[in-house]
Amino acid sequence: VLGMYSLTQGCAVFSREQARQRALYPRTEKIEVTLQIPGLQGTLLVMNKGVSTPHSCARHLTEWYVTSSALALVDGNPWPLHQPLTQSCSLSLLTFKDTDPLLVNQAYWRSCAALLGQVLEDAFKEDFSVELIRVPEVLVTSGAFCCDVVLDPQLDAWNPSEESLRSLTRGAQQLIHRDLPWEPLEVVPPVALEVFSHSRCKQEEVEEKSAQSPKGTVMLYRCGDHVLLSGGPLVARTGLCSQYEVTAIHPLGEGEWGLHRRAQGLSLPFQLQAHHTVWRKLRSRAEKLVRKYYLSQF
Amino acid sequence: MRLNIQMLISHGRVARKMGLGPESRINMLRNILTGLVRHERIETTRGRADEVRFYAEKLIDYAKKGDTDEKAMKMANFWLTEKDLIPKLFKVLAPRFETQPKAYTRMARIPNRENLDKAAMAVLEYKGNPFPPLQTAKRDNELTLINQLLKGYREERAQQAAAKVEA
Repeated sequence: VLGMYSLTQGCAVFSREQARQRALYPRTEKIEVTLQIPGLQGTLLVMNKGVSTPHSCARHLTEWYVTSSALALVDGNPWPLHQPLTQSCSLSLLTFKDTDPLLVNQAYWRSCAALLGQVLEDAFKEDFSVELIRVPEVLVTSGAFCCDVVLDPQLDAWNPSEESLRSLTRGAQQLIHRDLPWEPLEVVPPVALEVFSHSRCKQEEVEEKSAQSPKGTVMLYRCGDHVLLSGGPLVARTGLCSQYEVTAIHPLGEGEWGLHRRAQGLSLPFQLQAHHTVWRKLRSRAEKLVRKYYLSQF
Repeated sequence: MRLNIQMLISHGRVARKMGLGPESRINMLRNILTGLVRHERIETTRGRADEVRFYAEKLIDYAKKGDTDEKAMKMANFWLTEKDLIPKLFKVLAPRFETQPKAYTRMARIPNRENLDKAAMAVLEYKGNPFPPLQTAKRDNELTLINQLLKGYREERAQQAAAKVEA
């Protein structure tokens, strides 16, 4: 598990950077946000620059928009729901039941994998170290989301039993019940390296991502007291998932950092709940090792 | 018989009375059934549609025996008052329902009639008719998360079945 010091240190750096970015807008300036929602086309909202998020725009509408929107599209680009808007733009809120929910599905899969990584980090005792390597971009049709992780060398011979998988599931359900928002923050690489100073592979990932991104910045997400790195936008909050189960942890073999393991899980949002017979069939499929994955352009 | 109160209370009696008597009831049902075979979708009162359903399905069962069968031809002759519908019954409706064992008709309730009687109405139709559907089943979009997961599941099962067939 991450030592308490590195957890709080990462959080402290994140909060500091968040406060600094908010202080860049000392005076409230207004921006105009045009809504592109079916039924409310062309509605103009006057929001605050650098402070208002798509979530606050949804709160100006009805409660249904707040609970059901998972991702926002700002000028056609996917935008996390809790990221502040910086200029006048057009906004549309995406749910799970749209005519084209591909972006939302992929973001949901990524968020569930990030949640799995968080649960794994918290699950083990202080003596054992857990390194999250990366979250492979898996297609939704492959049946399960995965999180690659390297456990402490003392646990090389450990294989997860059903009871341990169930306790991991319970940990994830507790996080879901707490309904924590995934707060996004765009930072420059030095700050990100400071946040992940305890983990070498995370630092490498930060360098990779900053090289790939056009602006040279890296997107961090905070959930509760964990700070994560992600390949693309995540959904608004953990409360959107309803059925969540950790299905398997497969060993992948010796890798760069030790024995790589792939933790897999299955989840569905609360608007698309499955009957228990359907859930059982999907779950038995999610226990098999997911080999094919595709790197999306995010 | 003894004239008692029980004769006026109809608790538990399933046989409906229509028209002037039993013969009138059969004639009315015959007319409605002829209209159903001609138009394949008709609108009547709820009670009549429910009664005709039984006879419509039994008529199809008889038609499935083929037009060479003596009993089937007699039945069709009796029940269809317009005789140009007898070839339609044997040549169009019977082949349509060859694969189905039962359930050839569908009844959907509609708002009450606008007349003074405000009768409860229903639409009765033979399945497979050429008109647009009465009630479409609301299906979720194919691209939602759960449908995509199920699609992957179905593809994997198909792959496994194909692999089993080869081996």
